[in-house]
Amino acid sequence: MKEFLESIQYSAFGLWVAGGDTIFAFPFILVLHTVGLGIVVGMSAIIDCRVLGMGRSVPLVDLRRLFRTMWWGFGLNAVTGTVLFISEAADKAYQKIFYVKLAFIFLALLTMTRIRHNVFGETADVNGPMPQNAKTLAIASLFLWMGAIVAGRLMAYTQTF
Amino acid sequence: MAAFVTWLRDTAVSQAFRGPQEWLWPVFESLHFLGLALVLGVAGFFDARLMGFMKRIPLRKAAEFLPLAKVGFLINLTTGLYFYISSPFQYSFNIAWWYKVAAIVIAVVNAGFFELMLKSRMVTLRDDQDPPISFRIVGVLSLLAWLNVLFWGRMLPFWSPPGGGADL
Repeated sequence: MKEFLESIQYSAFGLWVAGGDTIFAFPFILVLHTVGLGIVVGMSAIIDCRVLGMGRSVPLVDLRRLFRTMWWGFGLNAVTGTVLFISEAADKAYQKIFYVKLAFIFLALLTMTRIRHNVFGETADVNGPMPQNAKTLAIASLFLWMGAIVAGRLMAYTQTF
Repeated sequence: MAAFVTWLRDTAVSQAFRGPQEWLWPVFESLHFLGLALVLGVAGFFDARLMGFMKRIPLRKAAEFLPLAKVGFLINLTTGLYFYISSPFQYSFNIAWWYKVAAIVIAVVNAGFFELMLKSRMVTLRDDQDPPISFRIVGVLSLLAWLNVLFWGRMLPFWSPPGGGADL
């Protein structure tokens, strides 16, 4: 395993990302990863807060497209996240907090798909009252994204985590 | 500049901020990223609507989510001031930090202009009416300014002065 991780980290691509003499390598990929974070968590926050009672005058069906935007943001971060991981594979793979972050993201996305289905879905009653568990899902989503952000931030503290 | 920064670093507040609670810095960093997501996501959503996307949602209804962006901005202003007051040397001599501050000023002035000059017009807009050109310009400017804030914020560690500016 270690050999594999080192082989991708020290591949020509991995080395370029980590140390390429241009801001379009690591710094810019990190910027894109942060833009993706803003899109994913921002769209989720709007959806969650709508479920929790904010912006009630906006019909639920009109917010459906925010899920698509959220998935585009997630796609961006899956790609940029993979590239960032490659550039530090042999280090990041041994940070427990990295797996905590992935678990938070997985659970947060799972929660979002439940909200999409239960509250915004084609079979959901988008004009009637919210399903009973809608608010629980929205609150869970907010906490799970916060968890993903905290874990992601702590990945920078390689000495401790 | 150096005199001001030295004075600030030696104030009781700055020293207290640098106190033994080492966990506070990463906690505030995490909150700073949450605030970033709220500002970029929610302001970006409204900016896109100002530009004419998502026309099914009337502009004044889309505006009902703006308090979320304002909360995000307040979180980031608070945590950002904490970072600066804690380590003024780390930022004051970093050109990326000045670009970031400039971008924040542009974004805030732009949002203030919308709030004071255009919001009254927004309320009278018909639901299916295309946003006027002034709305589109404000939307584009806002998105560009916030993306610049993010970009230069991310550049801070890559543009840091010699020695990280820690003990200048």
